[in-house]
Amino acid sequence: MRALMLTWEYPPKRLGNVSDHVCTLAHELVKRGNEVEVVTVDDWRPGFEDVSGVHVHKVANPVKTHPMASMLTSDMTASTQIERKASDVIYFLRQNGKNIDIIHTHEWLTVPPAIILKHAFKIPFVLTLHSIEGHRCHNNFGPKSIAIKEIEDRGIWESARIIANTEWLKNEILRYHGRGHWHKIDVVWPIGDGWVDGVVSVYKRALGKT
Amino acid sequence: MRVLHLSWEFPPRIIGGIAAHVFDLSRAQTRRWVETHVVTCNFPGAREYENIDGVNVDRSEAYATGDSFLGWVLRMQKNLEEKACDLISFINGIDVIHAHDWIAGVAGIGLKHLYRKPLIVTMHSTEFGRRIGLHNDFQTCIHEIEGWLCFEAWRVITCSHFMRDHVAWCFNIPHNKICVVPNGVDVTKFYFGFNYWDVRNRFANGSEKILLFVGRLVPEKGLDVLIKALPRVLGNGVPAKIVAVGEGPQKDEFQRLADNFGLHGKVHFAGHLDDWTLRALYRVADVAVVPSRFEPFGIVALEGMAAHCPLVVSAVGGLNEIVDHDGTGLKVPPNNSEALAGAITRIIKDPGFKDWIVNNAYQKCLWNYNWDKIAEWTKGVYDAALHEYHNGTWKPT
Repeated sequence: MRALMLTWEYPPKRLGNVSDHVCTLAHELVKRGNEVEVVTVDDWRPGFEDVSGVHVHKVANPVKTHPMASMLTSDMTASTQIERKASDVIYFLRQNGKNIDIIHTHEWLTVPPAIILKHAFKIPFVLTLHSIEGHRCHNNFGPKSIAIKEIEDRGIWESARIIANTEWLKNEILRYHGRGHWHKIDVVWPIGDGWVDGVVSVYKRALGKT
Repeated sequence: MRVLHLSWEFPPRIIGGIAAHVFDLSRAQTRRWVETHVVTCNFPGAREYENIDGVNVDRSEAYATGDSFLGWVLRMQKNLEEKACDLISFINGIDVIHAHDWIAGVAGIGLKHLYRKPLIVTMHSTEFGRRIGLHNDFQTCIHEIEGWLCFEAWRVITCSHFMRDHVAWCFNIPHNKICVVPNGVDVTKFYFGFNYWDVRNRFANGSEKILLFVGRLVPEKGLDVLIKALPRVLGNGVPAKIVAVGEGPQKDEFQRLADNFGLHGKVHFAGHLDDWTLRALYRVADVAVVPSRFEPFGIVALEGMAAHCPLVVSAVGGLNEIVDHDGTGLKVPPNNSEALAGAITRIIKDPGFKDWIVNNAYQKCLWNYNWDKIAEWTKGVYDAALHEYHNGTWKPT
């Protein structure tokens, strides 16, 4: 299995817990004989690194000034760079007769590029939601939170499978985005031996290989 | 050759000048053996797909939410990009991606890399020019996006030599990457039967000379310069009246300015007019005045030329290139009411001179600014980019 991992943070950049989560997952997947290409945003360390078999591609946001320090606009311009780097990776693999099997995106921030890559290259994506905007904004939906919730919603519709870390989060996703999605969400605890096997089985379900 | 145009506006969705430009350019391209696709925003009542004179138009959902205009634009572009991906899969490939301004250009950057096809960008204007400098983070952000777009483009098209220099300076883009292709005008649209006095009486009384101003009511367009020139024109014994077509945030300010000069009733704010009335107005007006302070191209001047309406323009930007002084119109320094008044008076008082410049201007329109030629020149830009593309190593093998 060859996975393209999209994340807005990856060590040594740590602003939340997604960073270490994705890093551990990538290394564990590689240990089990999978190949992982990570594409992430890091303004201070753009470039490529091969860390114990995990290929990490970092891009810098081309647009540096964002009014109101808006996460939304900075995420949208960074998304286009993620698309560029992911395309470069895909074309490079193709030269060697290889293909990406599955795209795995974490949180709303990398949902827009995942959707575009899906439509352009016809590769399905799995979405891990670590939290949801309704909780982060404490139900005070301002214009930014409405937009972010809409991006989450698009991700839920466009993804092949969704991973929630807990049964509770799965229920919260259903509460905010509609119970019709119940069949699409798998609960995989990001702890212990079952974690990575659980993620791989979600990949297989997304590809219709179960 | 297959080209994909990305534009945030396309008729019936008309917000600025890009809609008309893409509409005319894409239709002319289909006549030059270019298969043309336009991906644009949806609009109430417009179909998701339609074929207009051979142009394939696909509309995507535009009403995405955002935290600001900027957030909206960037999210809307993701929808454009997604629509374009589906279209390219459906028609099985594209040769050139042609994006219009930053407001659709980010989608073009993504598509360039997803499909590894050359990106051509038309810079219709710049944020730096529109705002005359950058004064807040919104403007700086847009400026940076424009710079990124010019950086990613294989070729940048501007509508005038002035804009070529301006874009090169603004974004540090080499001149050899920028091609000048002017805007066009379809002269046939201006010739239809109408009653001269019916149109004229709507805007002025029988003895008044109509000074036509067309543009958004913003400082950049310089209506205030024209209003300040009017007392001098009247003083020269010309019974002139300004008819200002267009809307904008400075309307009240301009109205107050006119009242302060005692010009009540001599400055008429006509608001937005439909195409038919505007074209008829060009034909009945005595002078078309374009007193802009910044003008990337100046499509208003072309419309005046096409309608046999004599032109007085300020010598800035694209206007400076369209109008030849004493040949196809009169040029005055920007922000100079005295010179403007003198030029207006000269045209109205010398009908022989007026006929001379009007005929020259019409010939120049036919020769330089017709869409078939513009489509041909644009295709030349595509060919240049494709030549490099096919001889390069970036093309997927």
